[in-house]
Amino acid sequence: MSRGWITRLQDEISQAWAVAVKDVRVYYLTPPMIMFGLMLPLFLFFSFSIKREIGLEIGLARLLALTTFFTASSAGPVIIPLERRVGTYDRLLTAPMSLTTLLLGKTLVGAFFATLVSAVPLLISILGLGVNLADPGLLLISVPLASLAFSAFGLVFASIPTRSVGNIMMPSTLVRWPLMFISGIFIPLEEMAPWARTLAYFSPLTYAQDLMNHTVLGKGFLNPWIDVAILPLLLILFLIPAARLHHRSRVLGY
Amino acid sequence: MEIAIDIHNLTKYYGDLLAVDRINFQVKRGEVFGFLGPNGAGKTTTQRMLTTLLEPTEGRIQIYGHDLVQDPMPVKRQMGLVPEESNVYTELTAWGNLMFTAKLYRVPAGDREPRARDLLETFGLWEKRHVKVEEFSKGMRRRLSIAMAIIHRPSLLFLDEPTPGLDAQSARAIRKMIRDLNAEGTTIYLTTHQIEEANQLCDRVAIIDHGQIAAIDTPEHLKAAFQKVQSVEIALSPDGGTHGERLKTLPGIRQAVKRGDKWRLYTEQPSALLPRLVDYAEKQNAEIVSLCTLGPSLEDVFLQITGQEIGAVQHKTKTSKGKIRKGGQ
Repeated sequence: MSRGWITRLQDEISQAWAVAVKDVRVYYLTPPMIMFGLMLPLFLFFSFSIKREIGLEIGLARLLALTTFFTASSAGPVIIPLERRVGTYDRLLTAPMSLTTLLLGKTLVGAFFATLVSAVPLLISILGLGVNLADPGLLLISVPLASLAFSAFGLVFASIPTRSVGNIMMPSTLVRWPLMFISGIFIPLEEMAPWARTLAYFSPLTYAQDLMNHTVLGKGFLNPWIDVAILPLLLILFLIPAARLHHRSRVLGY
Repeated sequence: MEIAIDIHNLTKYYGDLLAVDRINFQVKRGEVFGFLGPNGAGKTTTQRMLTTLLEPTEGRIQIYGHDLVQDPMPVKRQMGLVPEESNVYTELTAWGNLMFTAKLYRVPAGDREPRARDLLETFGLWEKRHVKVEEFSKGMRRRLSIAMAIIHRPSLLFLDEPTPGLDAQSARAIRKMIRDLNAEGTTIYLTTHQIEEANQLCDRVAIIDHGQIAAIDTPEHLKAAFQKVQSVEIALSPDGGTHGERLKTLPGIRQAVKRGDKWRLYTEQPSALLPRLVDYAEKQNAEIVSLCTLGPSLEDVFLQITGQEIGAVQHKTKTSKGKIRKGGQ
């Protein structure tokens, strides 16, 4: 019995990995992925950082948080409707794997894209601009951890039963932008009024930003291990409704 | 004979729209089963429920004894699906597509490459294995789609409209593949509106109309049940295009339909009609180029059952039951 479960688990992990690798190969250069996953966080960063006389390190921490948030949460909403449109999503749904495994594979894709995109400013800052990271070891787990949580967050929106990327991106933007503004990304948590700080705790981005502050600047508002603990919890918290909503979409025929 | 698919009171609503209405049928292991119906009759909805892509509103599906809703995994491992649109990854090569599918179906690592090679050679794609699929023709994509559906050697293969839009050569090659797979023991469930294809390939066919099974039997039994739709086909020279109205006035002809350079005359007594046609040709100073009697085709049976006029394939919406506003997908 337990051997059966182990085999099944091995199968599901291998299948999730196969889905992730395939998605990376197929979608990494699609226009919506470049637009929503690469350009958008950069635009946001420059819009809110230029001429604000922020230090290089603060800018890097902010950019890392923005990149993980927007890139990871864009992957599912871009890839899944595209796959629904061309019918390849049906291929995945009919394969002998659970819906959770499929979504886990999709989560890995978003996390991979976000980690890859985050690595670019990080390397430029370290190698080109001489930025010294306060805690490189913690950064190595922080970026993938935040990316996984935000990728699962994107899958909640990807459950909207549609074959159009635009139909998902609109509500997704409607939710993600306010979450960005209430987080501690532009106004540090310590400078916020207590009511604003309470509100900030409802944004998943708050914990990623605080963690990036710890890893790059060496200081944050919350204990870094609270941030590290909350991000995997968010991953699970987002995966559960994502799985339920995707199941609901399936009942509707999407 | 062992039952591969057993469907009991299968029903699907989209909101308050009834697409499939309590259908019941069985598919035997090893047979080629055709599922025919006009557009919107519910055939694709039925197939999507059978392949776990859509949950039934009511009813039960058992495949090889497993309940598809409660216990889908053993069925999924034994099942292959070739959808209407070739859902291949155009950004990957043919080889990449097959390798990905093999991994998805947990084909043992040592078997993946030999099986992929074997399939690509069989389907005439070996030379193009490293070419991105975006450069493939429609027929090549279709063949690759079938190869991807059978790389895990399923015992049950679902095909949704496998040949429409393909050139004659590709369509023939795909029909041959279906026959070969069936000869090797694969149960085939073929959804199609290509009636002649079903006639050539299927051991049994079911005809669905307005979400309900209207008929289910072997093609020959269905034809035998519709002997009244026999016909005589005549080609006259010169054709002139004006024979139709005159032919219709001959005794015993129910309907005259132009088919290319020929006229198909539907009658219940073909033998009685033949001398009248010879007489007609003489009076019209026309030469009979060809003249033959025809039994009912499966298409005739289909059109009779679905209430469509012979020679005019047009779907009519049923309103008599009140609960069906329109067919499913």
